[in-house]
Amino acid sequence: MTAISPSEGANKTRSDLLAYATLTIISIFCAVPFFWVLLASFDGNAQLFLRWPEQWTLANYVRVFTKEDGAKWLFNSLFVVGGATLIVMVLAGLGGYALSRTRAWWKLPFLYAILLIRVLPPTALVVPLYKFLLTLNNAEGAILRPIFGSYARDIMRWTGFIDGYLGIMLVLATMQLPLALWIMKTFFDGLPRDYEEAAVMDGATMMQRIRRVLIPLAMPGLAAAGLFAFMSAWGDFLLPLIFLSSPELQTLPLGLFRAFLRINEIDYGLLTALAFIYLLPAVVAFGFARRFLVQTFSGGVKG
Amino acid sequence: MINLRNVRKFYGALEVIKGVDITVEDGEFAVFVGPSGCGKSTLLRMIAGLEGIDEGDLVLNGQRINDVPPDKRGIAMVFQSYALYPHMTVAENIGFSLSLKKVPEAEIKKQVEGVAEILQLTDYLSRKPGALSGGQRQRVAIGRAIIKKPSLILFDEPLSNLDSALRVQMRAELQRLHRELKATVVYVTHDQVEAMTMADRIVVLNKGVVAQQGAPMELYHQPENEFVATFIGSPKMNVLPMTATRRDAGKVHLESPLGLAIDLSDANGSVPQGEAKLGIRPEHLKLAPQGQGDFSAEVVIVERLGVETYLTVGSQQQPIVVRTEGDMTIRPGDRVSLTAERAACHLFDSTGRVLRSAQI
Repeated sequence: MTAISPSEGANKTRSDLLAYATLTIISIFCAVPFFWVLLASFDGNAQLFLRWPEQWTLANYVRVFTKEDGAKWLFNSLFVVGGATLIVMVLAGLGGYALSRTRAWWKLPFLYAILLIRVLPPTALVVPLYKFLLTLNNAEGAILRPIFGSYARDIMRWTGFIDGYLGIMLVLATMQLPLALWIMKTFFDGLPRDYEEAAVMDGATMMQRIRRVLIPLAMPGLAAAGLFAFMSAWGDFLLPLIFLSSPELQTLPLGLFRAFLRINEIDYGLLTALAFIYLLPAVVAFGFARRFLVQTFSGGVKG
Repeated sequence: MINLRNVRKFYGALEVIKGVDITVEDGEFAVFVGPSGCGKSTLLRMIAGLEGIDEGDLVLNGQRINDVPPDKRGIAMVFQSYALYPHMTVAENIGFSLSLKKVPEAEIKKQVEGVAEILQLTDYLSRKPGALSGGQRQRVAIGRAIIKKPSLILFDEPLSNLDSALRVQMRAELQRLHRELKATVVYVTHDQVEAMTMADRIVVLNKGVVAQQGAPMELYHQPENEFVATFIGSPKMNVLPMTATRRDAGKVHLESPLGLAIDLSDANGSVPQGEAKLGIRPEHLKLAPQGQGDFSAEVVIVERLGVETYLTVGSQQQPIVVRTEGDMTIRPGDRVSLTAERAACHLFDSTGRVLRSAQI
C-alpha cells in the first residue's frame, strides 16, 4: 500500500501536527527554567518571573567572584570532582581490564554486587559511612597532630577523611566506580586479545603493553567512563553537604544552596549567576561525552 | 628447522594436544589443517609461546625453546584479526617491535621503508589501519612480522576475514612472498583448498593428533586413514560400506548393499574378510554405457560448473558424488551406469585405517 488517498494524507498531516505541538509544549516546559536562569543571571534587577532583562549586565557574575567566594567554590568543585574522576578512571581502567580477562568464578557475582552500590540510595548509607570516615579521620589526626602540631589542621584539610579534600574525593569516586567498572569491563570484552598478544610477540613488557597499546586502545572507553563519573559526581549535593563543613572547602552546589537559604535576602541575580556557572561544566562535559559514548556503546574499537 | 617432539597440552584434565610429532624443514611452507577444535591453533600458539607446553620438546634450529619467552624465540606471528593498532600509522605498526627495542628512529625508518617496498605499501605508510582495504591490512600485518627477520613466521587463518576473490589473490601473493623471503612458514587453516594450493608440507590434525603429514599430493593419493581421505580433496572422497570376501589368491571381492560388486587386487592379503570401507574419489567413477558398468544408480542432484559437472547419485543415506567432464545433459531422476577405476580404489577397515592404497 503505497498510495495514500487525500483524506488519509490530511489525517497524517493533522496527527503529525498534533505530535509536534505536544512535543513543543513539553520541550518548552523543560527548557524554560534554563532559559530563565540564563536571562536572570544577566539581569540587573532579576525577579522570580521569566522576563527579558531591561538592562544587560555582568554585575551578578562580578558579585559571585568578588562579594562571594565564587572562585574558591568553583575551584573546590572542580578539584574535588576532577580528583574523584581521575581516581575512577585509574581504578576502572585497571579493574575493568582484570574483570574482563579473568575467568574466576566470582566474576559475575562480583559484578552484580558492585551494581548494588549504585542502586542503594546514598542517603541510607550516610550514617555508617560518616561513622567509618570519622574513625579514620580521628586516627589520622591522632598520628599527624603530635608530629606537625598546629600545622596538622592545614594538612588534614587536604588529606582528612571528614572535612578534607581526600575524603570527599574517595566518597564521590566510590559512588561512581561501579558503573565505570561495568563500562570498562564491557569495553575490554570487545577488545580482542590479539592486540596484547601481538605486542607480546613484538617483545613489549607489561608496562609497555599498558602504556603503548592498552591505554590508547581504551581511550574511548576511559573517556566515556570518566565523563559519566564527572557529570554524576558534579551533580552530587548530599555527600559534600555531609562530609564538608569548613567554609573554605565549600563546593559550588553548597555555595548555591547556602546563598538560597539566607533569610534576609533572596538575590535572584546572584543565585542564577551561580547556577549558570554550576551548569556550565556539566554541559561542556556532555558535549565531549557524546562523541565517546557513541563510539563506546556502538561496539568497541574498529581496527 | 622446527621440531615438535611428543608435544602435549592439557586444559585441566582435558588433553587437547595428544603427543604430536612434526618436523618442518628450513624454507618450507607447512600448513596445519583440520576441522575446528582439532587443536591446530593451539599448536600454533604453543610454537609462538603464547601457550605453554605441558610435555614434549619444541626445538627450533637445534635449540629447545619450550621456556624461551615469545619475543626471544625469533618467531613472528600474523594474527587472524591482524591485530593492527588502530591508533598507530602503518609505519608505526610495522616498526613497533623495533621501537620497543629502542632502535634509532632513522634505522627504523629505513627498515620500515624496505619492508614497505617488498609489500607495496610505500604509499600508505602514513595512513591509519582504518583507512586501508582488507588486503592492505593483511600486508601490514605481514610487514610487522617480517621486519623482525624471524627464522619462522606463523600465520593463524590469515585469509578467513577476506572475501573469496581477495582470498585467491592473497594466496598467490603469500606464495610469492614465501619464495622471495625464503622464510620458513607455519600456516594454520581449516580450508583444505588453501592447504593444497600453498603447502610444501601439509599436517592434517584431528582431535589433537596428527592424522597424517606429507606433501599435498601424497596426502591426496595415499591417505593413511579415512579422515585424511575425506578431508583432503573437494568434493570429498566417497566412502561406501562393503563386505569383503576372499575368493582367489591375490584378490579380494567386495560387495555393497547398493549392488556394487568389484574385485580388487590384494597381493599380500592385507584385507581381512568382513566389513571394509571402499574409498573412491568423484573423478575415479566413470559413466558407462547403459546396462554395463559396475552398478547403476539414480541421479539426485546435478551441479554444472561448465568445464565439469558433479552428479550426486544414489540414496539420501548413501549419496555418491561423480565428477564428469563438460556440460552433461543428464537430469535428476535419470538412471546412470557407473564404473569404478580399480587402481584408484582405497580400502579402509572399520576404524578408518587404510588397508589398501590407490595404485596411482
